[in-house]
Amino acid sequence: MAATNLSMGAAIVGAAESNEIGYPEERGEKVTSLQHHIEAIKNVSDYTGIPISDIEGIFSTGWSVELAEHLGIRPHYIDTTSVGGCSFEIHVHHALAAIASGIIDIAVVSHGEAGWSYRGGGGGGGGRGEMPPGAEMTMAYGTFGAPSQYAHAMVRHMHQYGSTVEDFAHISVVTREWAQKNPRALMFADASQAEVKLGERTPNPFGGPITVQDVLDARIIAWPLTLFHCCLVTDHGGAVIVARPEIARSLRTNPVWIAGAGESMAHQNMLEMDDFTATSAARSSAIAYEMAGLGPQDMDMAMIYDSFTITAAITAEMLGLAPRGQGYRLWKDGDAAPGGRLPINTNGGGLSFNHSGMYGMQLLVEAYRQLSGTAEDGVNGIEGKQTDSHTCVVNGTGGTLSTTGTLVLVSDD
Amino acid sequence: MAYNKPIPRKGQHNQPFWDGTKEGKLMLPRCTLCGKVHWYPRLICPSCHSTDLEWIEGSGEGRLHTFAVQHRAFGGWAEEVPYVTAYIDLNEGDRMMTVLRGVDPNKPEDIKIGAKVKVEFEQADDDTHIPFWRMVEE
Repeated sequence: MAATNLSMGAAIVGAAESNEIGYPEERGEKVTSLQHHIEAIKNVSDYTGIPISDIEGIFSTGWSVELAEHLGIRPHYIDTTSVGGCSFEIHVHHALAAIASGIIDIAVVSHGEAGWSYRGGGGGGGGRGEMPPGAEMTMAYGTFGAPSQYAHAMVRHMHQYGSTVEDFAHISVVTREWAQKNPRALMFADASQAEVKLGERTPNPFGGPITVQDVLDARIIAWPLTLFHCCLVTDHGGAVIVARPEIARSLRTNPVWIAGAGESMAHQNMLEMDDFTATSAARSSAIAYEMAGLGPQDMDMAMIYDSFTITAAITAEMLGLAPRGQGYRLWKDGDAAPGGRLPINTNGGGLSFNHSGMYGMQLLVEAYRQLSGTAEDGVNGIEGKQTDSHTCVVNGTGGTLSTTGTLVLVSDD
Repeated sequence: MAYNKPIPRKGQHNQPFWDGTKEGKLMLPRCTLCGKVHWYPRLICPSCHSTDLEWIEGSGEGRLHTFAVQHRAFGGWAEEVPYVTAYIDLNEGDRMMTVLRGVDPNKPEDIKIGAKVKVEFEQADDDTHIPFWRMVEE
C-alpha cells in the first residue's frame, strides 16, 4: 500500500560531488571518506544557495552524527540507515516522509567513501563480536566479496532464460559508451581525446570504448563474470538536498520532484535468496510507481545500480522495463545506449564511471543532473546534457541482491 | 596436511548439526509446528515463527540449484583455484551452500543445473567435519 499522499511532497533541489573522485591518490592526495562527505555537502550548499546552517535533517550510512558535529549543525531529524548501496535512495524516501509530514523542511543526504584511497579496509564501520548464523554456514566455502556471489545469479539466469555471457557483455559495452561522454568517468576517453577534454587530469590508459570481445576476453574473476562484468573500485563523495515544495520553488536551482518512493528487502545472505533471478525491486518499484501514479512505460530514462552486468539486467526486469529474462535486451538492442529509446546509466554507471563500494548516491546525482537539465552547466564539471528526460526511475541495490530502494523522479516541466 | 581453510564458528543454535557431522550425518532443523525444514539453523522458524524446533537426520541428497567458478581467492582457498561454489536444493527443502566436488571447474558448460548431488564430510579439526557436496550419477 503506497502512501500516495506523499507524492511530490518534496523535491531534490540540488546535487554535487566531492572535489576529487575516482583515484585521487594518483594525484598525490589520499582523500578520507569524511573529506568526501564534507566537500560534497559544501558543494551542494554552494550550488543551491541553501546555507549548511539551514539543514534540519541529516541522512547518511552511519555518519550523520559525526557529519553534523563536523559541520557545526544540530539537526532535529537524524537517519543513519546503512543497508548497502541502496541506502541513499532509501534516505530520500525517508526524507520525503519527514518533510511531507512537516517534521523538517530541508534535509541533506550525504555520501563519502574512500573506496580507492583506503581500499582493503579502513573505510567501513566497526566489527561485531558475533557472526550472523547464516554466515557461519557459508564462511567455509571459499567465496570472497561480491563478484564471487553475484556470479551464481548470472548462472541461474542463463539456465532459466537461456541468456548468454555475450548477452550480458552488451551491458558493459553500452555503459562504457556512456562513460565516453563523462569526463569525470574513470573509464572516460583514450589519451587522444583526453588531451582535449580532461584538462589537467591524467588520462586513464585503460579508458575508452570496449567491445563485446573485450568483455569476454577480460580476466576471469568468478565464472561467468570477467573483470568487465564487474563495477569499479573508486573514491566518491556526493550529496543531494531535499526540500519542502515552497522552498524548492523559491530557489535558483531547478527542482526534481520525488513522485514516488519505495524500499524493500529479500535477504541478507544469498543463502536465503529464493529466486536467484529476482530482487525486491519488484516490490519497491511497485510501491514507488503506485505512489507516483506512473508506470515503467512512463519513464524517459533509468538509473539502475550496475554493480555487475547481471544486477542491471535483473533490475531492469524487476522495474518492469523489460520482460522477465530479457533485461539485457535493453542494452543489446540499443534502447539503453546514447540516442536510444530508454537511456540507462547515462553517467557511465558503476561499471565505467565510478563505484566506491556503495553506489546509490552516484545514481541520484546523475538523475538530478539529467532531469534538472543542469548536466551541461556543470555540477563539478560534467559536460553535455545527455538526454532530454523528464521522468526517471532510480533503483539502488544493496548487499548481495539483498535490499532495494526505488525512486520515481520527475522534472519541473 | 592440516586443514588450512576457514573453519565455521559454532553456537548453541547449530551444535546438533556439528555433532551430527562427526558421525557422517547431515542433521537439519525442522519446525515441529509447521513441519518445514529450514537452513541455516535459526532461533525461530522462518515460516511460522514457532520456536519449537527439532533436529532430523537428512538424506544427504539434493540437486544443484546454481553455481559459479571461483578464480580469485585468499588464504587456503587461494591454493585451490579454480573451484566451483554452489547452492544445493536439499531433498528435504531449503538450500545449502557448498564447494562442489566431482566437477571440472575448467568446463563450467558441462556442469548441469538440476544434477543430483550427495553430501560428504571432511574433517577440519577435532570438532568440525565440514560438509561438501559431490556430483553423482543419477
